Amino acid sequence: MEIILCPLVIALLKALLGNKINKWIMSILSIATLGLVIKVYFEQVVALNNGVWQTVFDKPWFSDSIRFTLGFDGVTYLLLLLTSILTPIVISSVSDNRHKFIIPLILVMQSALNGVFMAKDGLMFYIFWELALIPIYFITLLYSHKDAYITTIRFFIFTFLGSLAMLASLIYLYLKTGSTSFSYEALINVQLSLKEAILVGGGFLLAFAVKIPLVPFHIWQADTYTNAPAQGSMMLSGIMLKMALYGLIRWYMPLCGESISYFQPAIMVMAVFGVVYGAIIALKQNDMKRLIAYSSLSHVGLITAGIFSLTLSGFEGGMLQMFTHGINVVGLFFVIEIIEYHYKSRDLTQLGGLAKHHKLFTILYFVIVLGSLAAPLTNGFPGELMLLKSIFDYNSLIGIFAGLTIIFCAVYMLRMFQLSMLGESEIVMNQIDTVKLMPLFIIGAIVLYIGLNPQSLIDVIHPSIQHIMEDIANSKGVLS
Amino acid sequence: MIGLSIIFFSAIIILFTGIHKPEKKSKNLTVFSLLVGALFSLCENLEVINTHTLFAWVPSSMLDFNNFRLSMVALVLFLSAIIIGLMPSSEKKGSDLLGLTLFALCGGIIMLGSNHLVMLFLGIEILSIPLYVLAGSDKKNLFANEAAIKYFLMGAFSTAIFLLGCAFIYGGTGTLIFSEMQLKVGFAAHFGEFPILIKLGVILMSVGMLFKISAVPFHFWSPDVYEGSPNRVTSFMAIIVKICGFIAFAQLMSSFEPMHSWYIKWLIPISGITILLGNIAGMVQKSVKRTLAYSSIAHAGYLILFLFIPYAENAQILFVYSLSYGLSTSVMFYLIDKYSTVNNFDFTIFKGIFNSNKLDAMALILAVLSLAGIPATIGFTAKYILFSKAFEYNQWAVVIGLVGSAISIVYYFKPFKYAFVNENLLINRESSLFTNILLVLAMLSIVIFGLIPGIII
Repeated sequence: MEIILCPLVIALLKALLGNKINKWIMSILSIATLGLVIKVYFEQVVALNNGVWQTVFDKPWFSDSIRFTLGFDGVTYLLLLLTSILTPIVISSVSDNRHKFIIPLILVMQSALNGVFMAKDGLMFYIFWELALIPIYFITLLYSHKDAYITTIRFFIFTFLGSLAMLASLIYLYLKTGSTSFSYEALINVQLSLKEAILVGGGFLLAFAVKIPLVPFHIWQADTYTNAPAQGSMMLSGIMLKMALYGLIRWYMPLCGESISYFQPAIMVMAVFGVVYGAIIALKQNDMKRLIAYSSLSHVGLITAGIFSLTLSGFEGGMLQMFTHGINVVGLFFVIEIIEYHYKSRDLTQLGGLAKHHKLFTILYFVIVLGSLAAPLTNGFPGELMLLKSIFDYNSLIGIFAGLTIIFCAVYMLRMFQLSMLGESEIVMNQIDTVKLMPLFIIGAIVLYIGLNPQSLIDVIHPSIQHIMEDIANSKGVLS
Repeated sequence: MIGLSIIFFSAIIILFTGIHKPEKKSKNLTVFSLLVGALFSLCENLEVINTHTLFAWVPSSMLDFNNFRLSMVALVLFLSAIIIGLMPSSEKKGSDLLGLTLFALCGGIIMLGSNHLVMLFLGIEILSIPLYVLAGSDKKNLFANEAAIKYFLMGAFSTAIFLLGCAFIYGGTGTLIFSEMQLKVGFAAHFGEFPILIKLGVILMSVGMLFKISAVPFHFWSPDVYEGSPNRVTSFMAIIVKICGFIAFAQLMSSFEPMHSWYIKWLIPISGITILLGNIAGMVQKSVKRTLAYSSIAHAGYLILFLFIPYAENAQILFVYSLSYGLSTSVMFYLIDKYSTVNNFDFTIFKGIFNSNKLDAMALILAVLSLAGIPATIGFTAKYILFSKAFEYNQWAVVIGLVGSAISIVYYFKPFKYAFVNENLLINRESSLFTNILLVLAMLSIVIFGLIPGIII
């Protein structure tokens, strides 16, 4: 409970004090949530090793059947960790003239995201899922260009339509539970016929596919990323996409497992198509933010495909890659924010030669780029390897296509690095403040740490993943 | 019952003592009497006070207030207090307008409490006749005149059709009392086929009531009337008339419950079309008031979903839904009234509201989110319990409702396009402290009932 309340309290503090506290203090304050997450982890560490989704808070909410229930296990822990590591970093990247409203909004969003990851009650999951959407809508609305209204509203309606489909599915399952309860255990035990499972699962998948985004539903993505302020893009791609992937693993698969085999081929093809398609478009982009948006489409497609291969390494690689992608993409947006702030441009054709001006910045930037393109010994490598292996096990042809991502990703990432950092400088520039690089330094450290020691994260999630896979297998019999 | 008497007597007092006084002087008294009426109805509901002996002379086959009806009376009085309290009153006009509003409210309460077709009809008329006058109370405004005459003609036709329906029902069942009608219809149900007289009567009465709540295809009057009437009257029509009209409709239909599966057949398409048309037409409107008119048409469609649920189960949901709709719509109308001029109802009136008035901007955000049914507001609570209940009886109608909610985002969020622009407001009126307190009260109820819905469910 305190994990959800803590960011709200800090947000309230900022909203009340306004300009009196600056972003650095806010950033340090928001580390408190990280402390709470770790505290709960040590409290629940025994339960975590069993892999059970431990209930840590339970009170009646709407009524006795709809309760405010929070759960905690390895998967939840990993995502809470991601959220609470990234939020201080995102806050520290806010530029000075706009911090008044954006910081409380980011913190409210953090609180809602924590709720999504911990919710153990169907309706509560939906409510937090929607709530996370409101702050990001206002972030994009308040700080984007004037003519960007249409992009923000399109983004909102797309995701809202998807979530309503999920709501319909949840209500259907709710009515199907004999006890009329929204609790995770009750929903998981519902037996559906294939036709029902396809309709209900379709509702879930629509919500998740819009948010992931899978290819036909991705049209909101690039525009929203480009128009949103850097912090909005960070929250969206760094954490919010993980919400949908988490939903797939935790909610869709155990709840409507009967329909997995029906949707599996289509989703695999869509996801891998997204991998290749995103990468090819990213090759041609000159706007750095757009480039990251498409690369994100490609990376997330790979994670989806890995999860849908329904193997242990797919799930674990997917979880690992969710964490990694969050760290990397926030790092990249952070770099873009710094470049844009100092050079007033993020167009690759205008930039160049920045490497000469700040060595440390260049090194950190390069580490993050290496992480994104999954070079060995950086954090991208183990996850991507596991994902590719599992996709290859599912179908070698699809695996080959998915494997193209390694080549493409190296090409567009290095091209971005090369065009922005190397070569001769044409722009007059002012020096970058070293203090500003602190968060980047943290990100760089995480990139290298996970690259060298991925097992530490896998150990945390392994029991929970196994438990979830048992859930999927037991109630539905799709996994042998 | 005691609420009705309080409102009736204060209406007389305000009408006669205040006829030469400007409206402003009677406003506080009106709001006060409304709140007292709401409080007493609530006490009566919780059985803190007992009025059975006091009103023993009223035959319960005519007018009877059970628990649900009393809570609805309290709700309607509370919402009227918020509407009248929020809206500024003019210096020039006399307080007869407030008196008329209270009389209209008496009609609404009678509709809520009626057990007899004649009482229902009387309630409709008592509600409508003052409203015809009120709609045209802005005498110099041509649109208001148009609104008044349109509303009068449409209202007169619809009540005539309703009366014809009553006559058929009397012919078919031989009674005008709801409970006896239910017995007769239940009796007919045993023989399998319902007499054509009853069927025709139900259809005609439904047409009359659907006119009142402006459901498609009987909605054509409402955008024009809503746009032309003075803001306070529009707000009153959109909220009080719709709530009272719908609850009377639901009670009326409950006496034909044995025919449930028959009348559902044509109510499903009406509900679906109302939701879709209201929302789609709302998207293309330029004026805020017209947009809200279409939004209220869409809400009429959601309300019809209640009729799919057996009457015994939907009382609580109706209460929550009415509260949610009433609160958010009254806040919206208050903001429109504050920032618009007589002939400018564009969305641009909200330009820069976030810069100049944070409280109103927050109110705007909350009201819009609540109307759109976003979680953490009462709007979500209401929509959720409606949809989840109706889902048991008709899945596809609920799916249409969900699609409608998604479409409605397009127009509900339009004010946000302008609200955060860094400019000054076109018109900046000051609000009194009293108004601001009421506004904060309304905002708090929107949030609290959204976050902790357990209190009202």
